[in-house]
Amino acid sequence: MVEWKGAPGLSDEEITARKEHFRILVCIDGSDECYQSLQYAARLGGGVDADIVLLFVRPVDQGLRSGGLQVRVARENMLKWGLELPGIKYLKKGFDILGELGMMDGEDWSEHVVHTDVDGDPLGDNKTEYVNAKGKMVVLKLKVAPDIATGILEQWELGPYDLILFGTSGRWKGPVRSFWDPAVAQKVAIHAPCSVLVARDLDVGHGHLICTDGSDKAMEMVRRDGEMASHCDYPVSLISVALDVEAEDEAKANVDKAKKVLADMGIEVKETIVKVGNPVDEIIEAGPDYSLIVVAESGKTGLRRFFMGSVAYKVMGNAHNSVMIVR
Amino acid sequence: MTGLKRVMTLGAWLNLYFFWEKKWFFIAMIIGAFMLHMPLPQGLSPEGLIILTMSVVSVILFVTEPVPLPTVALLIIIGQVVLMGHDSSEVAKSLVTDSVLFIAGSLMLAVAVVKQKLDKRIAWLIVRMTGTKTWRVCFGITVVSGLLASFVGEHTVAAMMLPVGITLISLTSDDPKKVRNLAAVLLFSIAYGASVAGIGTPSGGARNAIMIGYWKEFFFDPTNPETFKFIVSYVDWMIHAYPMFLIQVPFVTIILFWTFRPEYRDLSRAVVKLRKMIEEEGPMKAADWMSILIFFLVLLGWVLISGEIGMGTVAVAGAAMFLVAGLVRWEDINSGVNWGVILLYAAAISLGLQMKETGAALWVAEAFLDTLAPFGASEGFGLWAAVSVLTTGVTNTMSNGAAVAVLGPIVLKMSVVANESPIILGYITAISSSFAYLTVVGTPACTIVYASGYLKTTDFLKVGWKMAIASTIIMLVAAKVYWPLLGV
Repeated sequence: MVEWKGAPGLSDEEITARKEHFRILVCIDGSDECYQSLQYAARLGGGVDADIVLLFVRPVDQGLRSGGLQVRVARENMLKWGLELPGIKYLKKGFDILGELGMMDGEDWSEHVVHTDVDGDPLGDNKTEYVNAKGKMVVLKLKVAPDIATGILEQWELGPYDLILFGTSGRWKGPVRSFWDPAVAQKVAIHAPCSVLVARDLDVGHGHLICTDGSDKAMEMVRRDGEMASHCDYPVSLISVALDVEAEDEAKANVDKAKKVLADMGIEVKETIVKVGNPVDEIIEAGPDYSLIVVAESGKTGLRRFFMGSVAYKVMGNAHNSVMIVR
Repeated sequence: MTGLKRVMTLGAWLNLYFFWEKKWFFIAMIIGAFMLHMPLPQGLSPEGLIILTMSVVSVILFVTEPVPLPTVALLIIIGQVVLMGHDSSEVAKSLVTDSVLFIAGSLMLAVAVVKQKLDKRIAWLIVRMTGTKTWRVCFGITVVSGLLASFVGEHTVAAMMLPVGITLISLTSDDPKKVRNLAAVLLFSIAYGASVAGIGTPSGGARNAIMIGYWKEFFFDPTNPETFKFIVSYVDWMIHAYPMFLIQVPFVTIILFWTFRPEYRDLSRAVVKLRKMIEEEGPMKAADWMSILIFFLVLLGWVLISGEIGMGTVAVAGAAMFLVAGLVRWEDINSGVNWGVILLYAAAISLGLQMKETGAALWVAEAFLDTLAPFGASEGFGLWAAVSVLTTGVTNTMSNGAAVAVLGPIVLKMSVVANESPIILGYITAISSSFAYLTVVGTPACTIVYASGYLKTTDFLKVGWKMAIASTIIMLVAAKVYWPLLGV
């Protein structure tokens, strides 16, 4: 994971506090999937006492495409009429969901509204922070950015996040379409320095399916996800795929190794699966019985990830259910 | 350190993603370098090849936008000096024409008009005339947006009317999901009403002013009275194009209601609340009357004296009057106009004129006609339709002014080669360039209503193709039946 170096305007204590907290960024776009992923985040956050940030990214109002008249002229006119910005309603709905789930219980929450000017936009970034006595935070943030993916990645710079959650419907486009216009989730998954969860019909309770290939990275991931899942009492299962029959024993050994690691942590593994074949296809096929497929990131950087396309990305792009890449 | 290792370090040090994000810039540059070094095609002068290369590279950059668009304008200027060897002062002079002055002036006017608080009055006027039935409100919005946009440009009207549309939507229901279709019909009534109207008068859009400028530059010869018809006046243009806008208006409402079935057939709840909001404004003030007066003076100026002093001068004078009267602050104009767009149009028009001077436009026109010949589209009605389809295609991928600036010279040369009237083909190009209903970026009005957050990009596709077909048919019928009556 990339080291976060702090953001302007934060004191040293705040920076340390943020690094110590488990922080979840939930991207809200008003779709049903994004609220499902929010509920999941709330359960996860309840378990590990995490900060939750709801983010809506609004494209910056610019004028090159509107014939030279800046869109801000229209935006200012709308404000004069007392109209709300797009996105505020969606964020409020997300906040209400958190309330219903009991995330906002207790009366010691303090509210704090922050506005940041952004060049070229009359409204800039706006956020409302709720902090309780224990330092736990829930933030509603309305952000402007040239495009949605950039906005989400910029948000990471402002406060480190351990997990970014996304709702998306359907699979990603083929390589030709993404050369022209990569889907937002795809772009974020490739560039984000932290774990990314892409939610598709995410329902809680069916447990995690953790994929392992026995590497150190994968074992580290097994440890981290096992911890996370056990906080929320989610059952954990393990899968390892061998490329051919000869490697089957090795795959079995990988699963047993991971099982032992989890057992040492006091986590019981629900079931273990060993398959032979193409890892991507086998994992996708086994996936739908679980809430979430968990894969490790193989440590390549941006462009290499894009060109070489690890198993993790192929699974994320093509799976039928939710996938989390752990970094 | 071995060579391989050094290369690896360098690779890690370079931020490869920069190149990936800007890939289209480099692809365009490589295509440009390749074109400059290829053997000269027959019939094309070396200067023609350079200008053609610059045009191709610019079009790629316009469409893919790897760099901010005004950068393309700067590159065009650099290219004209470095590649063509023109004197830098000459290039600078060629940038500003009456069309460019008009674009700058009308953008300043647009900001001034939006800043006058007349939108609430207009909204009230609409609902008072139409009553509360949804379809009647939508039709009223389309008519009024259209009438205004035909004189002051679609972006002005979209910016002015957008709050009206959103207020009606949000007063009907708080939940955007419950009023998705209602939002679509109301907002598209504004956007498409303004778009179809942009063709009505020369001041309706930059593309019209650009075409008028091209006609004059390409064909006007002060010594030859035959060519005087190529000075197209404000009124001439209105006689040709305004009826077409009026015919399109009912189609907008019909197509919208056919595509999106609004959840509410009646908006009385919203209208009652809107009336309350407007009553709080009080009666018209002196400043309101003043801005209406200036607005009509500008219109009169365009109609009566734009032939003598130029459309650009009238637009600039209008902006000056608003400033003198203290009805708008310069700071508002300064932040509301994207000055880069003016630079962009200036460079694109300058490149278009060079296309003509170097013979590149003629060469492309001939090549294009040769390709069309097998389809029987190299002359007459077939050619008209082909030009219209080509322009519609191009305009959906870039701003319509840029589309006309790039295509205009080629189309006008085609008309000469094919022995067609440059006036007819010019009108067809300028008018078809407003058929950018399919994408958010196609027309300014679409971009502005999209900023409301109520529409999806797929909504534009869903309804846009029907609009494009209807508009193309109406225009071709008018070109065939109506224009001959006017003697073009």
